[in-house]
Amino acid sequence: MSDANRLDAKLQSALVARLTAMADDELILGHRDSEWTGHAPLLEEDIALANIAQDEIGHALLWLDARSELDGSDPDELAFFRDVGAFRNVRMVELPKGDWAFTMLRQYLFDAYETELLGRLRTSSYRPLAEAAAKAAKEEVFHLRHSALWIERLALGTDESRNRLTRALQRIWPYILQLWQPLPGDAALQRAGIAPDPAELEEAVMGRVSAALAAAGLEPPTDAIPHPGGRDRHGEALVSLLIDMQSVARADPGVEAW
Amino acid sequence: MAEPVAEEQERLDAFEARIANGEKIEPGDWMPQAYRKQLVRMISQHAHSEVVGMLPEGAWITRAPSLRRKLILIAKVQDEAGHGQYLYHAAETLGVTRDELIDALLTGRAKYSSVFNYPTLTWADVGMIGWLVDGAAIKNQLMLAQCSYGPYSRAMVRICAEETFHHKQGKEMVLTYAQGTASQRTMAQSALDRWWWPSLMMLGPHDSDSPNTPQLVRWGIKTKTNDQVRQEFVDEHAPELMDAGLSLPDPALRFDPSSGHWMHGPIDWDEFWSVVKGHGPVNAERLAARRRAFDDGRWVREAMAAYAARRQQAA
Amino acid sequence: MASHAPQAGEGPRWEVFKQDALGKPHQAVGSVHAGDAEHALLMARSVYTRRPAAVSLWVAPAEAVFAVTAEQLADDDRWSVEDGGQERRFLVFRKTSHRRSMTFVDHVGEVTAAGPRAAVAAARQAFPEPPALAWWVVPADRLSASPDAEAEAWFDPAGDKTYKQQSAYGLLAPKKRDRSKGGDR
Repeated sequence: MSDANRLDAKLQSALVARLTAMADDELILGHRDSEWTGHAPLLEEDIALANIAQDEIGHALLWLDARSELDGSDPDELAFFRDVGAFRNVRMVELPKGDWAFTMLRQYLFDAYETELLGRLRTSSYRPLAEAAAKAAKEEVFHLRHSALWIERLALGTDESRNRLTRALQRIWPYILQLWQPLPGDAALQRAGIAPDPAELEEAVMGRVSAALAAAGLEPPTDAIPHPGGRDRHGEALVSLLIDMQSVARADPGVEAW
Repeated sequence: MAEPVAEEQERLDAFEARIANGEKIEPGDWMPQAYRKQLVRMISQHAHSEVVGMLPEGAWITRAPSLRRKLILIAKVQDEAGHGQYLYHAAETLGVTRDELIDALLTGRAKYSSVFNYPTLTWADVGMIGWLVDGAAIKNQLMLAQCSYGPYSRAMVRICAEETFHHKQGKEMVLTYAQGTASQRTMAQSALDRWWWPSLMMLGPHDSDSPNTPQLVRWGIKTKTNDQVRQEFVDEHAPELMDAGLSLPDPALRFDPSSGHWMHGPIDWDEFWSVVKGHGPVNAERLAARRRAFDDGRWVREAMAAYAARRQQAA
Repeated sequence: MASHAPQAGEGPRWEVFKQDALGKPHQAVGSVHAGDAEHALLMARSVYTRRPAAVSLWVAPAEAVFAVTAEQLADDDRWSVEDGGQERRFLVFRKTSHRRSMTFVDHVGEVTAAGPRAAVAAARQAFPEPPALAWWVVPADRLSASPDAEAEAWFDPAGDKTYKQQSAYGLLAPKKRDRSKGGDR
């Protein structure tokens, strides 16, 4: 296993990019989840989703701390003072929260992806990443149980819940491929045993998801056109998200402590 | 079925003896109708306050200016939901259902703490609510943890254990901002100007205007009066706020060396009653938000029920 | 496919029992509203294990729990039990102290009986000391448990969230100012 000082400049740079992408996914998804606080369909679910939001933001901190070890960056600086064009999350997580079916389906797809990703990162040759992944993987077990439970209940509940879930599936499916679309530096990370093979990740995640959808009597849309563009391309939803998220911090950039 | 008067009196004497003896009254035990009624009223109002109380601070979750503050605020608002949850459970042990309680809240029949009908206008309000509003709440909660009704006492013990975090994180925020940049200090002072009096009023009307208090004390539901708790609150918080460099929005506030207490100025009770009756700055918004969440969630709860029914049939 | 659900409010209530550590009994901590047993377990974990410590959770539908207090037992001169019928396993919980607590009844063991009233009678025989202030009996087949194999995943993460532990905040006190100047304000 290697530490920061054993990585060459090229690998360091690739790892910084990969960690940023992972952190941005978690931060934006956690932020969307937190928007339900005070508005969930059941008081108990309000509490459950707030826990999931804390976990996701906690994961973002894990990845940003790992990045900080490499380049001395400050997690809060990155979260609150980068412009929209500098964020590297996938489009799927920045979409507005929608209804409960949309949120639970998006959560399920991301949880399936994160479960497979973390399972592989636990054996990363880069020790800090392996350790962080082991920590996050524990929390992910519960996330997956929770979101999978909702896919089943909404699919096999009422006509309305099933219709809403189907509409959510239509809406989200074009974005799913972006999850394992490799960044420029990922090939080098894979060769170094630091990050997993994206093709293998895709197969594992799609296997999981197809089985779950089939069990719920749902079929993914066959006519979905995959959303184009890399992680550096965002929509207007992220603009308004960041304007809100960064507003207090940006109002007084001279602050040392919040 | 009406009990003969003598037997009723005997029951009442035995009940009051149990309470005097420090025993807990549990669901199923005999209790006077008035005791049950008072408790349902108190517990449900308390539960509604927690749930509505999620909204003023919840609004700032998306704008928390650091990742740590974001986590802390989500956890705090989550706790408020949790506290509402524990209290709804306690109320349900008295024979009322959560559906009924929620209906009472959303149709405007049920009351909740007036303090949550004020708006949060800056990020620093979040800290001030934690320090002052939760500070006031803790005083009440510590007292209620000794309550004679088992389920309410247990809910309060659990809540007390979690509430200290709320108070401390709020205090940490305000102390930081009071000694921070000019804009942070301004923000903190603005928050204090707006939350000081609502926090004092949160501790309830003056004793002379609290008809329920003697009965509640007798039945081990309350152990201190509103004014007693309010005095404790002012004595603790006023000097610390001033030491932090903030000024209190009370020109009459002064220390009385003979009693050792901080004497506060007159409370504007007209405003209090107006807010209690539903005319506060954001009363309408608070209830509208809760109604919206409830209505938007109806199809989800229906799906839950349909799924469960389907599983039952299959079994 | 059912398109109209039965009266769909907050859903049924489930009593929750939490075990703080191996070797300690499961204790009644409160209840959750949830659609079904699996959902109830996930909700119980979210509501009751936000802070350490826990190693196991049980849930049972509230309507399956038979509760009786010492006062109710004393009032009832002839504690009549169910006649005949299939003997079933009942889990027994009891409260033995008025001491201030967050939890109500503790799991003490099991009895077999033809019904809940018979189960209470059997429990009073089986667990006579110390005298119980309240009893709960729950049919074993109505109880659902959190998966032991996932205990780490369910319950360890709460320990990492130190930002919500009051002990993580230390002493917070502003420096005392000299307020003797400019009056008592």
